[in-house]
Amino acid sequence: MKSVAQVGQASWPVKQVLLAILLCLSFAPTLRAQAIPYSRPVETAPQPETIGGGYKTPAVQKPLPRDAVFQMLDVVLLAGAMGISIWLVLKRRNRKWAVALTIGSLAYFGFYREGCVCPIGCIQNVAVALTDRTYAIPMVVTATFVLPLVVALFYGRAFCGGVCALGAIQELVVLKPLSVPPRLDRALGLLKYVYLVLAILLAIKPALGRDFLICRFDPFVGFFRRTGAPHMLLLGGGFLVLGMFVGRPYCRYLCPYGGLLAWCTRLARRGVTITPDKELDCGLCTGACPYGAIDQMRAVRKDCLYCARCYASCPRDGDLARAKTQLVTLS
Amino acid sequence: MSEPVSRRDLLHNVVRGGVLATLGGGALFLVKKANGQVVWQVDAARCVNSRLGDTGAEACKLCTTQCVVALSAVRAVNEHSKCGRCSICPAYFNITSAVDEKGLPSEKLCPRDAITRKPIGKADPEDPANNFYEYIIDEEKCDGCGKCVMKCKEPLGLGSIVLRVRYDKCVNCNRCAISRSCPKDALHQIPLEQALRPPELRPRTE
Repeated sequence: MKSVAQVGQASWPVKQVLLAILLCLSFAPTLRAQAIPYSRPVETAPQPETIGGGYKTPAVQKPLPRDAVFQMLDVVLLAGAMGISIWLVLKRRNRKWAVALTIGSLAYFGFYREGCVCPIGCIQNVAVALTDRTYAIPMVVTATFVLPLVVALFYGRAFCGGVCALGAIQELVVLKPLSVPPRLDRALGLLKYVYLVLAILLAIKPALGRDFLICRFDPFVGFFRRTGAPHMLLLGGGFLVLGMFVGRPYCRYLCPYGGLLAWCTRLARRGVTITPDKELDCGLCTGACPYGAIDQMRAVRKDCLYCARCYASCPRDGDLARAKTQLVTLS
Repeated sequence: MSEPVSRRDLLHNVVRGGVLATLGGGALFLVKKANGQVVWQVDAARCVNSRLGDTGAEACKLCTTQCVVALSAVRAVNEHSKCGRCSICPAYFNITSAVDEKGLPSEKLCPRDAITRKPIGKADPEDPANNFYEYIIDEEKCDGCGKCVMKCKEPLGLGSIVLRVRYDKCVNCNRCAISRSCPKDALHQIPLEQALRPPELRPRTE
């Protein structure tokens, strides 16, 4: 083959080769034109001016996010609900209205706002914003994170009882609470701090590897949104079934924000108080508390979730006293 | 003060003051330095459904299936200024279906019947193939399955239909569940004011 090619090259006249090249070049523009990729410019479509007759291009729908005013309204409602919760529980000592507030909060913050924004998840945003200078955090998120903590510094966990949608859904399913042995209760209570540290560590990773654990494994948000991954709905259902017999298991053992609130509550000025009565040391309140927050007839403020069950079951206070229950001495 | 403050109370007051100052200072810092609102948005240049070169019978449906809200916050949007207003729109009709007596395909493409059209200007009822139409996508019906987006691009369409996040439906998750599973990493968080500008003025995220 090689030898044949060499022979052929040597025998070609230069003139004819040049002519052939020229001929090819004369076709080049046509070839180039064919190589242009087909593209249909937008101008071929009829535009308002070519259509005429006063035709106007309809606006592209661009629905705006929730208005800033309404976002602020959420913060105002959060603060307001905490205020009402404090007033109802500490001042009025009224469980009925406290339950009404819980239902209202569940309806608004849970089912209407679909569980977002909540201070539990805000932990992560605040952690990221404090470590990453490029991260933007809306003012609403900052306020949602800070407000319940400030309230806890003075009055305890009013947020848990009156406002939190995750707490509310568990509060309403408490059916026959068993008392958890104190040592087990304390040990399980440490889980929430492990969860808190883990959530913060995963959130403050570099932007691409970031994971928002608390939001991803929120067990109840699927109910609030009426949709969700089957395994998360199952987990939420599991928590609710467990919650019938163990009062608010997520709040007491897993909620990372509950951990922060418990720390702040240790400094609280006021909180739910149990006043032992000289003549009536009945201890009905201890039995009524599903959260193990009454220890030797004293309220443990850091564990108190503002449900006012203790007041409701007290013969000298709350609903029973208002109903003028007659105490009889059995002899 | 009538009663002397106990040592315990004093200590509590001091610590409480310290915590309050920390919380307040932290909040002030965040509001001053990091305040801003970001939203998730689909980058059409990356989306499998609207990207040129990615063609196929099946559209990527992850925007529909992965979103955490009941009806996905991602919806198809027709950019009217780019729309060819074609009479036989490949995103409106299932162009592989049988032709009816008017010379138009007999089946619609949208599984939720969210796309409607009305003729522009003088419509000739005898010759529907030569009219121009305005295509409107009902965003309340659309679930962002991307079928029409996949069809509305070269060679038949102009790429006027794109998938876009509706900010009123989106709950703005910290990490968008769709972005977690998007094969082309087409969802990004962008500042709100940037998202409200028209897409051609938006800087590309490469």
